[in-house]
Amino acid sequence: MGNFLQLVQNENMKIYQRPRTWIMAGILVASVLLISILWVSVGGRDTSMWEVAFIESSILFLLVTIFTVVIAAGGVAEEFTSGTIKLLLIRPWSRSKILLSKYISIIMFAVMLAVLLFASTILVNWVCFGINASPEVQPPIRGLNGISPVSYMLQYYALTLVSLVVTVTLAFMLSTVFRSGGLAIGFSLFLLLGVNSFVALIAMLEYKWIDYLLFIHLNLTQYLDGNPMREGMTLGYSLGVLGIYYAVFVALTWYIFNKRDVAA
Amino acid sequence: MDHPIVKLQNVTKRIGKRTIIDRLTLDLPLGEVFGFLGPNGSGKTTTIRMMVGLMSLTDGEITIGGYSVTKQYEKAIRHVGAIVENPEMYKYLTGYQNLIHYARMIPGITEHRVHEVVRLVGLEGRIHDKVKTYSLGMRQRLGVAQAILHKPQLLILDEPTNGLDPAGIRELRDYLRQLSKDEGIAVFVSSHLLSEMELMCDRVAIIQNGKLIDVRTIRGSQAETESLRVLIEVDRPQGAIEALLTIGQSAVIDGDNLIAIEADRESTAAINAALVAAGIKVYGIRTHVKSLEDQFLEVTGGERIG
Repeated sequence: MGNFLQLVQNENMKIYQRPRTWIMAGILVASVLLISILWVSVGGRDTSMWEVAFIESSILFLLVTIFTVVIAAGGVAEEFTSGTIKLLLIRPWSRSKILLSKYISIIMFAVMLAVLLFASTILVNWVCFGINASPEVQPPIRGLNGISPVSYMLQYYALTLVSLVVTVTLAFMLSTVFRSGGLAIGFSLFLLLGVNSFVALIAMLEYKWIDYLLFIHLNLTQYLDGNPMREGMTLGYSLGVLGIYYAVFVALTWYIFNKRDVAA
Repeated sequence: MDHPIVKLQNVTKRIGKRTIIDRLTLDLPLGEVFGFLGPNGSGKTTTIRMMVGLMSLTDGEITIGGYSVTKQYEKAIRHVGAIVENPEMYKYLTGYQNLIHYARMIPGITEHRVHEVVRLVGLEGRIHDKVKTYSLGMRQRLGVAQAILHKPQLLILDEPTNGLDPAGIRELRDYLRQLSKDEGIAVFVSSHLLSEMELMCDRVAIIQNGKLIDVRTIRGSQAETESLRVLIEVDRPQGAIEALLTIGQSAVIDGDNLIAIEADRESTAAINAALVAAGIKVYGIRTHVKSLEDQFLEVTGGERIG
């Protein structure tokens, strides 16, 4: 019955018709520009565009995560606080599908921001450092096998996107459970920023259960350079742990959303 | 009455130890405006939430068009349009975008239909403005618009006259009556505005403390033969009572120069003749019809929220 894509289209409309979404995208691109321009004016052009693009990506991906968490945390909660959830649910669609359409639109937003960051770092730094670059400037060799900068960047983004999806799913779950956008944003960002700053310390502890902590595995780029946070951990193992967390988050979110009485 | 579109059978809702709705059984036929009346906190909104699947049932069953709301939700809700409590819309979207949003969720709604509905609720001038700039009355109209977009067979409106001005209320009332008569759809309206219900509804169910107390017909032809309370203003009440006793009609004094009798339409004329024949001056005769408000207070005992 009906066309599921139209539900996703609806959710996209609710994301992109709001000014805040465009402000976020604007801040992201402006930050890339700002860092590159400062770099050129202070340090000159004797740097590889890949070096700058990589540094910008690693700093600004945090912004992508924060912005996406804000949107994800608002996703379900705002429908509850504004009361629109009532009119949204009384349509010939199951609650699971309505929730899925929201989730898909949020993941699309996350990917869009990541692509925007990637594209703008490459483009801006190509203009700033790439055109007529002195042939003596060599792209830095990073990673284990000395791969090309492009494929290193792509791998970096792929791994970070995996963690982003898990983080967003966590925020989406909190949004559904608490039905309060502020609480969901606050809690997700606290977990993300607060715990992440202790994670290196926690990783040094000897206890076995620390191997199963979500936050040890959220930073997958540790495997790109071949120095995992805890000894003996592999990329496969981290992906496995993240996969289990992801499945639990999704199951809980859908279960609670289907079960709940809407009294908003 | 032979084809109820909605059937509520022994519907019960308990939250914790509190019983919010207690074995409510009710049938709604097509082609009627059905009122749902009750004091604040009596369970009107909870019942409506259960009818549209926003709340689960502790016990009992609700079917709409033959489909169970709990088991075949998508089929049951297909032909239902509703406003639950306030018509909350996406404030950051325009009225038109809001309607498109809901139109996309149900197959077969054309852009033409959206424009038609906008005209119907009289929002042509402002439909492309953001909803946050709308007045309460305009939001209410937009709420009605999204509810009738897909030509539902059952229209559920929770307190629909909230925030409307008198002209708007009248317009809505006429529109709902026309919908139920011409299109043969069932309209289910909850309200605490008794006089409004009296003008709008064919029948009214009265609910109190989660229990169905009474279902009353408001529009009917039984008034002709029904015994009414008649007040007669005379110069000598005592003499009038005695004169009436001779024709076998009992009467009581009811205030200054007023006597009250129970009589139907025909005997009222005979009583007047008897009084005149006995030389009593009759200044005025009026029938006292119990308003819905009187009836409502009578059945609910004027009780407070409990």
